[in-house]
Amino acid sequence: MMFKKKMLVSVIAVWAVLCIAQAAPAAPPAGFDDNEIRIGQWGPQTGPAAPWGSVARGSKLLFDIVNEEGGINGRKIKYFIRDDMYNPAQTVGVVKELVERQGVFAFVGGVGAACGMAVKDYLAANKIPWVGPSAADQDFIQPLNPYLFAVYPLYRDEANVLAQYIVEKLNMKKVGMLYQNDAYGKDGLEGAKERLATYKMSLVAEIPVEPTEKDLASQILRLKNSGAEAVLMFVNPTAAVIALKTAANVGFKPQWISSNTLSDYPLMFKISGGLWEGVITGAFGEIPDSTHPLMVKYREAAKRLNPQERWGTFYSAGILFADPLVEALKKAGRNLSTEAVMKALNSIKDYQTIGPKINWTEKQHQGTDSVMIQKCGPNASYIQLQGWTTNDLATWKKK
Amino acid sequence: MDHFKVENLSISFGGLKAVNNISFSVEKNSIFSIIGPNGSGKTTIFNMISGIYKPDSGRIICDGENIVGSSPDHVARKGVARTFQNIELFSNATVMDNLLLGRHIHMKTGVFAGAFMWGRGSAAAKEEIANREIVENIIDFLDLQSVRNHYVASLPYGKRKLVELGRALALEPKILLLDEPSAGMNTEEKGDLNIWIKDIQADYQVTILLIEHDMNMIMGISDRIFAMNQGEKIVEGVAAEVQCHPEVIKAYLGEDLSC
Amino acid sequence: MPVGQLLVEGLAIGACYGLFATAVFWLAFVITMLFSILLGVLIEFLFLRPAKHPSILGMIVITLGAEMFLMGLASWKWGAEQKFFSLPLNPSVTYEPVKGMIINNWAIAVFAVTACIMLFLYIFFKYTKLGVAMRATQQNKHAAKIMGIRTERVFSFAWGFSSLIGAVAGMFFASRATLDPAFMMEPFLRAFAAAVLGGLMSIPGVIIGGALMGLIENFFGYYWPHWKPIIAFIVIILVLCLRPSGLFAKHYVKKV
Repeated sequence: MMFKKKMLVSVIAVWAVLCIAQAAPAAPPAGFDDNEIRIGQWGPQTGPAAPWGSVARGSKLLFDIVNEEGGINGRKIKYFIRDDMYNPAQTVGVVKELVERQGVFAFVGGVGAACGMAVKDYLAANKIPWVGPSAADQDFIQPLNPYLFAVYPLYRDEANVLAQYIVEKLNMKKVGMLYQNDAYGKDGLEGAKERLATYKMSLVAEIPVEPTEKDLASQILRLKNSGAEAVLMFVNPTAAVIALKTAANVGFKPQWISSNTLSDYPLMFKISGGLWEGVITGAFGEIPDSTHPLMVKYREAAKRLNPQERWGTFYSAGILFADPLVEALKKAGRNLSTEAVMKALNSIKDYQTIGPKINWTEKQHQGTDSVMIQKCGPNASYIQLQGWTTNDLATWKKK
Repeated sequence: MDHFKVENLSISFGGLKAVNNISFSVEKNSIFSIIGPNGSGKTTIFNMISGIYKPDSGRIICDGENIVGSSPDHVARKGVARTFQNIELFSNATVMDNLLLGRHIHMKTGVFAGAFMWGRGSAAAKEEIANREIVENIIDFLDLQSVRNHYVASLPYGKRKLVELGRALALEPKILLLDEPSAGMNTEEKGDLNIWIKDIQADYQVTILLIEHDMNMIMGISDRIFAMNQGEKIVEGVAAEVQCHPEVIKAYLGEDLSC
Repeated sequence: MPVGQLLVEGLAIGACYGLFATAVFWLAFVITMLFSILLGVLIEFLFLRPAKHPSILGMIVITLGAEMFLMGLASWKWGAEQKFFSLPLNPSVTYEPVKGMIINNWAIAVFAVTACIMLFLYIFFKYTKLGVAMRATQQNKHAAKIMGIRTERVFSFAWGFSSLIGAVAGMFFASRATLDPAFMMEPFLRAFAAAVLGGLMSIPGVIIGGALMGLIENFFGYYWPHWKPIIAFIVIILVLCLRPSGLFAKHYVKKV
C-alpha cells in the first residue's frame, strides 16, 4: 500500500516536470494581435507589502479608461496582474509565466526594487519594454538598460530636494537622519549629505535601521541627544511608526520629514494612531484631492469603474507609471512593433500627466529628477507645500 | 478476587516476539521475582504493566480491573509504582522534592488552593503536613537524612537508586515494581537493600514484583520465582523448585546455582 | 437655564462613554486572552501531540511550522497590512523622576505587568500542585507519568498559559509598533536569544537574560548603531561557547 502511494507520487512528479518542460516554448508568443495588446504587471496583492498592491490596480484603471474610449489604434488592452507577494523568487515565476505562456508585449509598474532587479535582465533579453517601475534604484538606469524606462524619482534626488527644503524653507540647521540599512536608505543618505555639503553643513546624526527592527529606543535617543530639529526618514512604514511612537515616549518632537514611500497619509495616519499629522513627505504625484483636470477625470472614473477601491496615492501612482506607455503605444500607430514603441518611448519629451515631467532619450532612461513636497494635515488630509522641484545636483544628468 | 494477575500477555517488536503468552498470578503482600538472562523480556513485562507499552494481546488484572490500555499516569493512580533499571529521577531537583512528587496523586486540593495555605487549620495545610510526614518517614527509613536537600544529579549512583525507591514508596502503592534495584550497588549496600525490601513488604503492606540478577538476593527474599527465557516461561515456583530446574540451569549456563 | 443640571447630566453621560470605551477594551482584552489560551492548547493538541517523542530541534521546527501556518491564516482572514493597535495608555504622558531619565506610561505598564506575571509564575511553580507537576514533566516526562502526573494535561496547560503570556507581550509590542501577522517574528528571535542567554530552563534566568539583552542592545546600539541588530547574536554565540546552559541555569556535566 505504502509502496503504491510512493509510486503514484513519483509518477505524478515526473509527469508534472515533463509537462512544464514541454510547455516552455523556444520563443515567447507575440505580445499583441489585431485585436489586443497584452500588458502585465506584478505586485503584492497579499503578504506584508499588500498595501502597495494598489499600484497594479491603479494601472488597471487607466487601461479600463483607454479601452472604454475605444482602445489604442483599434486594439484593446488586455491587462494581467500577478501577485508575487513582494518576493523576488515569485516575481521571476509570475513574469516568466506571463511572457512565455500569455505572451506579453510590455510590463508597467511592478512594486519592489528587489523584485524588479530579479527580472530586469530577463525582460531585456526577451526584448520586452518595461515602463515605470514602482521603485527607484540606481541599477535600473545605470548602466543604461534599453528596455527599462523609469518614471519614479531617484531617492537620492528626493533626499536632495527634501534637505534643500529643510534648510532653505524651514530654516532648520540641525538635521538628523534615520535610514533603512539598504539601497533605499543609503541612496537617501547620500542625497541628503550631498545637499547639506553645499551649505557647508553635515548631518548631526546618521542612524541606520534594519528593516525588521522593532526596538528603536537607542536610535531615537541618539537623534534626540544630537539636538536634531528635523529628522529625515528613509525607512519602511512600520519602522516610521515605531520611530514616532518611541519619540513620543521619550518626549522628542522634531519636524519629521520622510520620503515619498510613506506618502500614503490615510494609511500612515491610521497605523500611527494619528501621530503622522504634521509629517512632511516627498511625493511623486498630485495630492489625491487635487483639482488638476486629469486628476478630476481619473478620480471620477475610479468612482465609476472601481468604486470599492480607496482613491489614494499609490492607486493613482499606478496610473502615472502607465501613462507614458499608453502615450507611446498611441504614437507608434496601427503598425505595431516593439521597435516602434521603443522609438516612441525614447522620444518622450516634457510629457506630464499627474506626475512629474518625463524625458527619455536613447541615452537616458531616468525620466525625472523632480518631487513635490506635501504635509499631512489633520485627519490625514494632504497639504501641498511645494510644487514640482527639480534637483539641480542630480548626478545622473551630468553623465 | 485476584489481587494481581497477568494473563496470556504477548508483545512483539517488528516481528520479534519479546514476550510470548506469559501468565502468572501474585499473592497479596508477597514478593514475586522474575528472573531470566538479559533480553528475556523481564523489563518488557514491567513496561506493559505500567502502561508504557501496550501489549498485543492478554490482560493485566489489578484488583479485578483490567488495566491494559491505560496510560502510565492512570496505572500509577491505580496504585502501581515502579523503579527503573536506568533510574528515572528529576535530576535537577532535590531528594526532598523528588519524594514529594511521589505524593502527587495523593494531593487532593485543587490546582490553586494548594498554593496558598490560608491558615494552619485549612484543609490544604493539613494535607501538606500529612504528605511531609509520610516523606519524612521514608527518608528516615531509607537513611537519606544526610542528602535530603542535595540535588539528585550530584548524588552517587547507589544513593540515586534509593531515592527512586523512596519516591516509588511515597506513592503508597499497592504494587511495587522494582527493576534491578541492586544493580550498581556494592556488597554492603546490597545487604542493606535486602533488609529494606523485606521491611517494605512488612511495614508498607505492599506486593512486590522484583527483577534481579543477584541470585543470592532472589533466593533469599522471594516468596515465588518466575523464570523466563526469550520471552517464554520456563518455570514458576518457590526458590528450591526453580533453581534446580534443568532449563533454568541451561539458561544460566556456567553459573553455579548451588543446586 | 438649568446649567447645573446640564453639567451633571453631561458629565454623567461622559463618564458612561468613558466606561463604555474602557469596557469595550477590557472585554476585547479578556476575549483575546481566552482566545490565546485556546489557541495555545489547540496548537499543542494539533501539532505537537501527534509527534511521537520529538527532539528539542524537532519541537522547534514544529512550532515554527505552526507559527507560519497561523501567520498565513491571519493574513488570509484579516489581511497582511499593518494595523494600528493601542493599549489605553497615552504614550505621550511622560514623567521625569530624575533629570534626564524620562519614563512613560507604556514602560511603567510593562514593568508592572512583567513583575506581576513573574510573581505569579514564581508562586505557581513553587507551591501549586500543577506548577510542580509542570516542572517535573519538563525535567523527565517519563518519570512524571510514572508518578501519576497527567502529562498531556500539563502540556495543554503549559501551552495555553505560555500563549497567554505571549499575547500579553504581543499587545505591548504592537502598541509600540504596528500590528501585522508577522510582526512578532523578529522579537521572537530576540526573545529566544534572551532565553538562551539566561538559560532556557530557568525563569529568573530568562527574565534577567531578557533585561540584559535589552540593555546590551540599547547601550551598544547607542554608540554603534550599525551593530545594534547583530550584537545580541554575538553575545549568544559567546555565551553558548563559554556556558552552554546559559548564564543562570544550573549546569551539569553528564558523568560518564
